[in-house]
Amino acid sequence: MDCVSTGGNVKVLAKAIHSLSRIGEELYLEPMEDGLTLRAVNSSRSAFACFMLSPLFFQRYQAPPDQAFHCKMPIKSVQAVFRSLSSLERSVEKCRIQMNSEKSRLTITLHCKHGLLKTHNLSFQDCESLQAVFDKESRGNVLQAQPRLWVDTVLHFPPSLEEVCVSVSGERVWLKNHVEDDADPSRAMMTELCLSSEEFDHFAISSQNSITFCLKELRGLLTFAESSGLPVSMYFDDPGSPVVLSVSDSVLEANFVLATLSEDSHQHSHSNSKAERCKAQPPPDDFMSDDMDSYLIAMETSELAVPSYEPAPHPCSTNHRARLSSTRQEEEEEEEEELLDRPPSKKFCSLFFGSVLPASTQLTSQTTRSQEVLASDSEDEGEKE
Amino acid sequence: MPLSTQSQSESDEYILVASLDNARNLSNILKAISFKDHAIFNATQNGLKVTVEDSKCLQANAFIQADIFQEFTIRQDVIGFQVNLTVLLDCLTIFGGSTVPGVSTALRMCYIGYGYPLTLFLEEAGVVTVCKINTQEPEEPLDFDFCSTNVTNKVILQSDSLKEAFSELDMTSEVLQLTMSPSHPYFRLSTFGNSGNAHYDYPKDSDMMELFQCTKTQKNRYKMSLLKPSTKALGLSCKVSVRTDSRGFLSLQYLVRNDDGQICFVEYYCCPDEEVDEE
Amino acid sequence: MKFRAKINDVGCLNHFTRVVNTITKLTKACVLRLTVNNVYFVLSGKVANGGVSMWCELLQVNFFDEYQLEGVSADSNEICLEVAPENLSRALKTAQNAKFVKIKLTKKHCPCLTLAAELPSLSSVSRVVTHDIPVDVIPRRLWHDFKEPSMPDFDVSIYLPPLKTMKSVVDRMKNLSNYLVVEANLSGEMNLKIETDLVSVTTHFKNLGNPPWADDASQGGGQSRPVEAMAHARVDIRKLQQFLNGQQVNPSKAMCNIVDQRIVHLILLQEDVSLQYFIPAVA
Repeated sequence: MDCVSTGGNVKVLAKAIHSLSRIGEELYLEPMEDGLTLRAVNSSRSAFACFMLSPLFFQRYQAPPDQAFHCKMPIKSVQAVFRSLSSLERSVEKCRIQMNSEKSRLTITLHCKHGLLKTHNLSFQDCESLQAVFDKESRGNVLQAQPRLWVDTVLHFPPSLEEVCVSVSGERVWLKNHVEDDADPSRAMMTELCLSSEEFDHFAISSQNSITFCLKELRGLLTFAESSGLPVSMYFDDPGSPVVLSVSDSVLEANFVLATLSEDSHQHSHSNSKAERCKAQPPPDDFMSDDMDSYLIAMETSELAVPSYEPAPHPCSTNHRARLSSTRQEEEEEEEEELLDRPPSKKFCSLFFGSVLPASTQLTSQTTRSQEVLASDSEDEGEKE
Repeated sequence: MPLSTQSQSESDEYILVASLDNARNLSNILKAISFKDHAIFNATQNGLKVTVEDSKCLQANAFIQADIFQEFTIRQDVIGFQVNLTVLLDCLTIFGGSTVPGVSTALRMCYIGYGYPLTLFLEEAGVVTVCKINTQEPEEPLDFDFCSTNVTNKVILQSDSLKEAFSELDMTSEVLQLTMSPSHPYFRLSTFGNSGNAHYDYPKDSDMMELFQCTKTQKNRYKMSLLKPSTKALGLSCKVSVRTDSRGFLSLQYLVRNDDGQICFVEYYCCPDEEVDEE
Repeated sequence: MKFRAKINDVGCLNHFTRVVNTITKLTKACVLRLTVNNVYFVLSGKVANGGVSMWCELLQVNFFDEYQLEGVSADSNEICLEVAPENLSRALKTAQNAKFVKIKLTKKHCPCLTLAAELPSLSSVSRVVTHDIPVDVIPRRLWHDFKEPSMPDFDVSIYLPPLKTMKSVVDRMKNLSNYLVVEANLSGEMNLKIETDLVSVTTHFKNLGNPPWADDASQGGGQSRPVEAMAHARVDIRKLQQFLNGQQVNPSKAMCNIVDQRIVHLILLQEDVSLQYFIPAVA
């Protein structure tokens, strides 16, 4: 492979790498006749992201003669090449990517102002193609909005928040933080944001659903979407089936496929007192309807020094965890181990990965609900910002 | 000004008195060499030289000429002492080291002699701070014996162009390899890290290259951990001269312009890490 | 027991946010005491806080456009809640360009202070964000811990220098030492000092002026104290740094009272806010 990108597209490429780095540790590269794909998956395989850059994205694009060529490398090393976006913008005029499969070497050359030439030779490993099998077009619910709206929405939630619950009705969208079953509900601040359908560019709801998924990956996609100014679409169905976040223009397409919490755990997590708030209409303005006297009476009569209102019992105490399906054939061994090694932690389910699929079917294959594998959420050690 | 209210008799005791209207003119240049706590001060009629060393392989010197100071009085030919540089920098920037024009910290630095502390009087907006920093007997600085007659290769670059390279260096590489050559690649920085290698090439006709005098192809490796601190100096300077001698020793000379447009120098010497076979 | 309040004015919202941010920098948890006329943030000097205590008082009418309170009972018409100010500050941050913000006491999965903000949107319908901030309702029999601290019987009271200068100095001193001596006298002089094996640093402030307290305020030593005599207190430098770092209120008056060898009492006054902070001296 030999391709060259110039000007603003170098930054787009860099942003794509940065946003993939929020997903997984490795970058999967697949140069094909119809473009270059960059992919990443998280360690628990509950999140998958794919950027497809068409040949027109590049000033010059030459796919390798060997069509079945796939490789992967640590994403950090690629990220390091594009580390400083400001310096990219300021000084890089041209970026050339060459792949030498004999030497297992990817060469990225940055041609900078004043004749400075930066050449990075990165080694890679051959691997199988990484595919998530999903079909966003068949999803019942589609929300599309400008990146600004998504960014403003996500801003209301603390950076430490891992998962967010999105609910839709005919004319509204609610977002609220999802609290872990085992978290102390009396300590966590609960945030809920309500948006009107009118704020979206496209709003098509066929079923009034609530889904819960990881915020981290959404944030990753948003940094890309915001810099490129492209609208972000969200495709989803029932709780438990993956949500697809998507950005596209004439020369590129990005799809992030994220597992959502399955129905049963979803309801569990909301059954304590705030039952089904996700699906409910916004609360009426009932400012004076809340009277705290009952708490106070309980306290004033209590012998205890500490206020003793009853904590809601934890409804979901079983350590029954994420079901994540994988239809990957020929998984690499280390990844198999990874899947089995981790203690299950959360009920994310139904993210299907196919591997070694013909390139032409990659984005349209039907989901298959077979071969469920016990796996866990990533428990990623925080965002590395 | 309160700084000048000191009695004459007290001033007489000092063997060294150095005053600056703007303490940043000293603190900034000391920041360029602050990678270890111990700093050796050496004062002569010409000014002040401050030396910091690491592992007997790296030496950094900051030169502040006497005429940078508003007052520079020295009552011995040579005065030497050692202080903790981190502490000195905290003291010099006690008022925050403001970069707001018109706001500056005045400094008067005094030393009575062996066994006495280095005394700083700092004043900003009528507030006075007095610092007494303990001194030790100075160690003998290393002699790198780097003399200009033995220089094999020399280039002068605008600092901006190297700054970017140094900030991006792959720190998983143990060494930084420097190639200087009269032919391609002319001036090359290379790293060999966990995930691969990287080369930064500067053509000799680049407009960032102010001088290019390479007589012989030389490829030398320097420990990354030793060279990384020099990034501080790079950040403060406007030009840098990179020289290697016949033994492969590296000299980096930085030209630093202070707030008042005066010029000071910072210099780093580094031993090569190992011999590289010529290809 | 009911409480609701509303802020319409963006200036009031910003002002309230700055006060809450200041409190957030000072403590992880504090008591929010609501009375008919005032809102208080209180930290009582427990050993767990390093003996530091805080008293911040706001005149509610200057912040809130609506304010309704129904306290525990007619004779104790107030409410005391334990709250994490950081939550409040985070909630207010997301409401910065709100058309209005409502704050009310609610009964959710636990007692909550619910902050609801109506935000501008791209459509005719506003965005509404609500934050349920968990609180602990403090029973009346524990209220005595959260009464206004009496003014300590200070030896010297002095106006503080510009807080920005003081912050720079304390920040650097913090790099050099764990403890700092604050000393001041009745002729407007204040010194900040540190001393370690490596260095001794003293910053001298002059002509600061001494506040004219009414006679009954300063009994300690009374008028007999020589004006040059320094009262001093050695304090944990982090506590002082915390106070100076968090400061977002931009006070019209900033004062420091020193009880010799015992306490440093810092007071920031603004038109409608006052903040008092007590740092105990260490040996």
